[in-house]
Amino acid sequence: VRRRRRSLGLGSAINWPIVVPVVAGTLAAVGLGMAVCALCAVVAGDGATAAFAVPAAVVLPVAAVGLASTRRLRSIPFRARDGFLAVTLAWVAAALVGAVPFLMHGSLERPVDAYFESMSGFTTTGATLLGRLEAEPHAILLWRSITQWLGGVGIVVLVVAVAPATGMATQRMFFAELSGVTQDRLTHRIADTAKILWGVYLAFTAAGFVAFMAAGMGPFDAINHILTTIATGGFSTRTASIAAFDSLAIELVTIVFMVIGGVNFALYWRALRGADSLRPQLPELRAYLVILVVATAIVTLTLIASETSIGAGDALRDSAFTVVSITTSTGFITADFEEWDNFAQLLMLMLMFVGGCAGSTAGGMKVIRVLLLGRAAAQEIERQVRPTTVQVLRVGGRVFSEDVRKGVLAFFSIYMLIVAVGTVAMAGIGLDGTTAVSSVIASLNIIGPGLGEVGATENYTAIPREGLVFLSALMLAGRLEVFTVLVLLTPAFWRRSVA
Amino acid sequence: MLVIVIGAGDVGRHIATTLSAERHDVTIVDQDEERVEALRNDVDALVVAGNGASPKLLADLGAANADLVCGVTQSDEANIIAALAGHQIGAKQTVARVRDADYFGGDESFSRQVLGIDFVVHPERATADDLAEAILLPGAVHVEHFADGRVSVAETILTARSPLVGQQLGARRMVRPNFIFGLIRDGKAVAAESFHMPKQGDHVLVAAAREHIGEVVGHIAGRTPTARDVIVFGAGRIGLPLGRRLEGKDGVRVTVMERDPERARYAAERMKRNSVVLEEGVDKDVLLAHGVDRVRAFVACAGDDRANLLAAMHAKQLGADLCLAVVSREEFTPLVDALGIDAAFSPRLVTAEAILRSVRGGNVHGMYLLLGGAEVLEVHAEPGCRAEGRSVGDASKYAHTRIAALVRAGQVIIPRGQEKVQRGDRLVLFNAIRGVADVGSTFGAK
Repeated sequence: VRRRRRSLGLGSAINWPIVVPVVAGTLAAVGLGMAVCALCAVVAGDGATAAFAVPAAVVLPVAAVGLASTRRLRSIPFRARDGFLAVTLAWVAAALVGAVPFLMHGSLERPVDAYFESMSGFTTTGATLLGRLEAEPHAILLWRSITQWLGGVGIVVLVVAVAPATGMATQRMFFAELSGVTQDRLTHRIADTAKILWGVYLAFTAAGFVAFMAAGMGPFDAINHILTTIATGGFSTRTASIAAFDSLAIELVTIVFMVIGGVNFALYWRALRGADSLRPQLPELRAYLVILVVATAIVTLTLIASETSIGAGDALRDSAFTVVSITTSTGFITADFEEWDNFAQLLMLMLMFVGGCAGSTAGGMKVIRVLLLGRAAAQEIERQVRPTTVQVLRVGGRVFSEDVRKGVLAFFSIYMLIVAVGTVAMAGIGLDGTTAVSSVIASLNIIGPGLGEVGATENYTAIPREGLVFLSALMLAGRLEVFTVLVLLTPAFWRRSVA
Repeated sequence: MLVIVIGAGDVGRHIATTLSAERHDVTIVDQDEERVEALRNDVDALVVAGNGASPKLLADLGAANADLVCGVTQSDEANIIAALAGHQIGAKQTVARVRDADYFGGDESFSRQVLGIDFVVHPERATADDLAEAILLPGAVHVEHFADGRVSVAETILTARSPLVGQQLGARRMVRPNFIFGLIRDGKAVAAESFHMPKQGDHVLVAAAREHIGEVVGHIAGRTPTARDVIVFGAGRIGLPLGRRLEGKDGVRVTVMERDPERARYAAERMKRNSVVLEEGVDKDVLLAHGVDRVRAFVACAGDDRANLLAAMHAKQLGADLCLAVVSREEFTPLVDALGIDAAFSPRLVTAEAILRSVRGGNVHGMYLLLGGAEVLEVHAEPGCRAEGRSVGDASKYAHTRIAALVRAGQVIIPRGQEKVQRGDRLVLFNAIRGVADVGSTFGAK
């Protein structure tokens, strides 16, 4: 028995029978996305066909072989750590393969740049190195949008939804990719939960497409923008982002779908099932909406009061769009917020940390963590006064376990440590302070635009090569909520043990 | 009436004794041979050794013809099975004492529908409700409602603040004396007469319409402090539901003290606010740290009678206004007064009360047993009964009871002696000594 277990990989750091199907499934999804872009290139006839057809033709058979080779394994010994590795490898593989079209077509020349662009896409960050989007072929633009859309709810969630279940392994990977402080499962079988999330996602994508069309976008712009809006990604087909359309209707539609993308997707499904099951998630939703409204109000007043004063209507329009775009970690731009006064700029920086709700496509720390952190901090202060009180972490009547308290506090300290160390590192490779801190914050919180040289109207071309590699890693860490990636950096993870 | 009581613990024994004294046929079943042996000499009832949850035994004991099967053993499961079996065999009515909230889902109709048990008694839950009532009515130590909640009966303790102290009841002008229907002094209950002169420490029983009871109690108790804090000692099966009921009510701020860390966390997670404190023991410093000298009420409801009495006594000495203790075992009740504790609450009495109420059925619609052995009953004057058309004074004499209040056509009347009893009146009666009143023949149909 012992020998057979070892042969299945339990003794080694990598549990191949778990990793291979997930990576293969991910590559299959990426390959299919490329095939769609190849079709798009053929229709548009702009010469980008080979850049997609060739990698797709290579990746799809490889993925098929990978899936077929593990199909017969029914029960695979599984360790807690295997899910983390599988998910992280799947994302890295997706980003690597996704970089190929940028290189092959020549949109980006250095492999590092292509990898950055691809990772920025899959993690729904929206930071770009492409200077003039209007000069790019349709297929490249569509590919950027598709990477964001695949990464939005999650590639592994998609794999779990579609691929035949592999037992325990799928659950761990599902929750390793999905954001949140607690495991929120909707159905008996995790694959059904994944199907529901993707079903909701597809439904909103379809609805958003219709809405963008109705607001006056062309079909190509509409499809691209809904893919990146519902994923709260922020890639646009225009260099000037949403500002290029200069349309109130389009901005409103964008706002609505960014807000939708920032809400827990499980919540929509629960809403269909009746109000009772919704209750645990309402406090977070309420806080999320309150944050958006209050921040919009503050920024609007700041803009009205500022010296370069604009009309109240425009102030509201600009601030609402920017606040929603930044808080939901989308990163679309209609106004250059670097022209705002310092107060409003720093408020934007703070909102980047908040992010959307857990279980949404948005990045950031997530509203529920912010609520829990505030509660935990207040309780810690109160504990100094009343040391014998039994402190229960509670948000809106919902009780969270002490493990969640520890997890949230650990998450926050690691998050802040990454920001601090990252800022110093970025400054070390020659960036100014504003650029260094905001590029780290914008990448870790998967926003996209920051301040300084990576500001609203700029792109990331000012960042040196090693900086791009580092920021790509931050994006991945931010998308997978830090722990999934960080455990791979611990020696214990790679030690041979049975646990 | 044939009654089968399963479980000869405190409650079972109490029920058996009471019903046997009222000339019902009682069978009492218990597994403990020694207990059975001891009981044979005490109660005029058929005492059987055996497993009362056994359907076979129940059938043998004639459950098919029984009017009531009640499960009151220590075990919830045994009680439920006994009641279910009794129901299946054909008993007219089944009652089970269930302590674990998991079994009744917080809802009476649930157990009736799903388990088919007619009446489920939750001693701890009911005690918590009683305690909450007493705390939320400043001045009272116990409140009970009758006639669908129209009439409230309150028990208050006279302090030096009370305007009643040192005056004959008949001499009072401010408070209409006929609100007061009973007095308890040194554990002995009497029907109140105009010549009685209450003194400090006496328990006074008053009846009034529910909306007036607060005002009446306020008059009798004198001005009571308006503190908002309540300390609940013990987060057990009584403490936790009590804390949850008090939380946020009437501006009350609750502190629940618990010594077991796991239980404390369990309780804390079920409260709305963080009001559970983990305290190893109750000494002076701990109590004072939580402001025991400024609280409206201190309730001791930990699992242990001795700890409760001790904590409540401590709190009283430190200046808590109202000190209540949960005391399960009868032998401790005399201590309650001696230690200066304002009132004791017994889950056992609450259980017996609830079960006896359901047994008496028919004419008796509500009951409140006092620790001193007195009782308050609600009866309906049936058409053609002996009391019909007679004055309240006469009817009281026939029945050896006191009519404290009556409800006629939805109106609450606190009767004077000349008031006539009419058919359909709902009467709240006070019996100073349980069981001697002749309620059935006076107010029941002929």
